[in-house]
Amino acid sequence: MKKYDQIVVGGGVSGLTLSLLLAKNGKKVLLLEKGPHLGGSLIRFYKKNIPFDTGFHFTAGFSRGGILSEMLKVLGIQDQIKPIFLSAPGSGVFVFEKDNLVYDMPSGTENFRLKLHQYFPQEIQAIDAYFLKVKKVYQATISLDLRKIGLHAQAVDEDYLSLQEVLDALTTNVHLKALLSAFCVCYGANPKETSFANHARVAGGLYESVARIENGGEAFIRAFNERFSQSNIEVCCNTTISECAEIKNDAVGRFILSNGESVTATECTFTIHPQEVLKILPRQYFRKAFLERVAAFETSYGFFSVFGIVENACPNEFGPSITSLLPSTNLNTLLDPNQKEDTALAIIRSVEAGKDGKKYCVVNAFQPEFYSNLKQWADSSIGKRPAAYNEYKARQAQRITERFSNFFPQYRNDFKIIDAASVLTFRDYLFSPEGNAYGIKQKMGQFNLFGKLPLVNIYVAGQSAVLPGIVGAMLSSFIVARNLIGKEEFNHFIAGELTN
Amino acid sequence: MTEQDVIRLVNEVFVDSFEIEKSRLVPEANIFMDLGLDSLDIVDLVVALQKKFGVTIRDDERVRTIRTLGDLQQFILTLKKEIGK
Repeated sequence: MKKYDQIVVGGGVSGLTLSLLLAKNGKKVLLLEKGPHLGGSLIRFYKKNIPFDTGFHFTAGFSRGGILSEMLKVLGIQDQIKPIFLSAPGSGVFVFEKDNLVYDMPSGTENFRLKLHQYFPQEIQAIDAYFLKVKKVYQATISLDLRKIGLHAQAVDEDYLSLQEVLDALTTNVHLKALLSAFCVCYGANPKETSFANHARVAGGLYESVARIENGGEAFIRAFNERFSQSNIEVCCNTTISECAEIKNDAVGRFILSNGESVTATECTFTIHPQEVLKILPRQYFRKAFLERVAAFETSYGFFSVFGIVENACPNEFGPSITSLLPSTNLNTLLDPNQKEDTALAIIRSVEAGKDGKKYCVVNAFQPEFYSNLKQWADSSIGKRPAAYNEYKARQAQRITERFSNFFPQYRNDFKIIDAASVLTFRDYLFSPEGNAYGIKQKMGQFNLFGKLPLVNIYVAGQSAVLPGIVGAMLSSFIVARNLIGKEEFNHFIAGELTN
Repeated sequence: MTEQDVIRLVNEVFVDSFEIEKSRLVPEANIFMDLGLDSLDIVDLVVALQKKFGVTIRDDERVRTIRTLGDLQQFILTLKKEIGK
């Protein structure tokens, strides 16, 4: 029977991060991934030689001293991950389609705030109060500083106030409220459901800077793979844990893998969807209260995505940019699974290098989509979808094309759709339950599954644990790694890597 | 909600969600030593109580002084009164 120090389950960015941190600290690691490839939502796919992003499009955290830059430095992969900042005019645009209002928002928190002053001169007080609150929460969130990562996180008042409550108390201006809450599409819960603190922790970073990465999520996967080949990490794809055996004193003694092999390890960390974790662990070791808490988590929504190119466009004038089309000012209704009208649509323009060496002007347009609305086709699999599903997809793609062409009439004749994907596609290609984009929904008053479980050598990390998105997913692994490696040793390691 | 209602509902949480026998649920029972909960159970206890009483329980000084079942029942009673104001 093979022996490891640590098992990591899930080959998304959280699992990759944790594996490398553990290996860098002398541990022998087994990394398990259920799908055929590492990377999770970082994976890109190629069609007609053109690369398209699946789940990772842009991120915060790359500003000077930013949390993501620091994490990459500690992992030793900072040189392979090159941010392309979205800072030029027109690279962050919000559009209220029905009112024909366009807000071109700059990068940098101060710039963003002052631009809002110009757009809403009557609302200066509300705008300043909002940014003060965001700053307060952001600064109080010590986990966003790697050097303080292990200190006890204190809840702030804003953990107990919804984003909607805070905005309603500040202003009655519906356009301003919509602009301030629009980033909720970046974490998968609507303003009434999520706490202001959760919003501030994500949005606070995005106001500071938004960057795409050269070669997208693939750059991360390549960098991790390269480090893995030099480390004591064994990667096993198409494999997960099927059973925990020899449980003594609440510790798992043996892990039976889905390929039939048995292995031992001191500890095992799951970086997968929380409800998937409980499908693997033996239920009799958990209290009913624990099982109820986990069962109550709701899965966040996913996206219907259109992948296209604009032929004959000039690469120098093609992004990178994000344009958010909002059909109304009420994000709560826009993100309600029961509404039948248009929803928020994000359009990302970028220039990408094809496998044939050519440059392509790529458009990735995506809108929130709810698994519950596609339930009737949930049993179908790739290549075997019913005709009604294909018609649904064609209708969605057609409507997205119309909205895209309305806002970008200059591309109307040259826009070509190469492919489209629903949450079912994401579910079946990326192995995310229900094709969700952000793990579980971050709802107010909720306690996420994170850290040590009642089985004492089992831990949980991932984007559902601390914060959604790549920053939150990686951060959760840093926090868990500290427990697995030992606090003193880990602090020493972080300090050493950051000063190198 | 009367004091008796609060006591009954708090005890229900321990019986239903933590499978602790009713006979052990006396006010002076220490939540950790006598009822056998550990630090990892506390989050689940908070979530279950929040759901049962429709309240938000914050991690603050008041929560940290709770030791016995009686302390907990009194704390919930105070919370309910605060909301009722």
